[in-house]
Amino acid sequence: MAMPPFHLVLPVALLAGFVGAMSGMGGGIILIPALTLLGVDIKHAIAISILSVIATSSGSASAYVRDHITNLKVGMFLEMFTIVGALAGAAITLASSPRPLYIAFGGVLLGSWLALLLAGHKSWESAAPQDGITRWLELEGSYPDQALGRTVHYKARRAYLGAPLMFGAGIIAGLLGIGAGAVKVLIHDLVMGLPPKVSTTTSNLIIGVTALAGTSVYLAAGLIYPGLAAPVILGVVLGAFLGTRLLVRLSNQAVRSFFLLILAVLAIEMIVRGIRGA
Amino acid sequence: MTANTLSSSRTVESAQEWRQLEMDALVGYILLGGVLLSMALIVAGLFWKYLQTGGVRLEYELAGMNLFQFVVSEIHLAALGQIRPRLLINMGIVVLMLTPFFRVLASVVYFLVVLKNWKYTTFTLFVLLVLTGSLFLR
Repeated sequence: MAMPPFHLVLPVALLAGFVGAMSGMGGGIILIPALTLLGVDIKHAIAISILSVIATSSGSASAYVRDHITNLKVGMFLEMFTIVGALAGAAITLASSPRPLYIAFGGVLLGSWLALLLAGHKSWESAAPQDGITRWLELEGSYPDQALGRTVHYKARRAYLGAPLMFGAGIIAGLLGIGAGAVKVLIHDLVMGLPPKVSTTTSNLIIGVTALAGTSVYLAAGLIYPGLAAPVILGVVLGAFLGTRLLVRLSNQAVRSFFLLILAVLAIEMIVRGIRGA
Repeated sequence: MTANTLSSSRTVESAQEWRQLEMDALVGYILLGGVLLSMALIVAGLFWKYLQTGGVRLEYELAGMNLFQFVVSEIHLAALGQIRPRLLINMGIVVLMLTPFFRVLASVVYFLVVLKNWKYTTFTLFVLLVLTGSLFLR
């Protein structure tokens, strides 16, 4: 495999981390198409991306956990399903030829595009009744909400539906080397009824462990190149750090429109390459 | 609810709540420390490489191996006095991979020892065992 030079990979990874953090979609979804455009084979791009996902998710999860917003029980329960999914997903990628991977990635990009388009049109309500299974699993909690100036108490629900769906999210993460945070947040929000803040931060915690399961498969397959990993990890983490800082200053609408455009272009590009044969 | 301000809600009432806050802090610092250490090792390795060769191009592969074989081979090289830039970069990758692993390990201890919650000790142990198994993959 031809390895692109350090001075090209670093800025691309920086940009991917930056845009990923600003949009809340994570770096992988930009990083992988960009790396393949630089000539990296898609399986190596997936392997390096999922390694960098450990760094970005752990970095941002650390702050949220210390702010007591993350729900550790919800995280641990759902991790049981995502890590098994990630192992299966990574195994499928190893066995697959590149073209279906391009098409699958394009499909996920289109899905993210749709999710982002529809986001913000729902509001969270806490009054839903909790079912017996979710109560047995003790999936509830409270967190200090600084915007509301009070502690918000919540009870999760439908864990029996959330768990198998999270297995699917794990497959996507392992298969395509992304955090699949958007999918996880959707499951937390819409199926399990977690408050938005809890769902994004808990998803962050789950992403790190899920990415580790996927990474171990790719490491064993010899797909992790340190010469590529070094600039990607540095760039993505630094970019994510800058993106998170800037997030508060830019209007949400501007970020969304910009990201919708990027997602659409990359989705079409990946699908076309999958069909024509990259 | 208006009287219940953020500051008063943060007042810790029970010992269990207090322990939960401490656990949150510990998990947070494991994650942050792991990422920072990993980044520092990679930056140091790249800087060293640059001083040695005037460039940062690294053209080596890791033959398919699991994390533990990887660590053992690195320690072996280090013991032989072969501390090279690539050793630092490889250790950076190892530290990064072990960061979520140690977070889960800390969670097992927390649910087992502090909360004595058998349900969640079992769940967390399952995650730990699957991760350990995957790190031994060949």
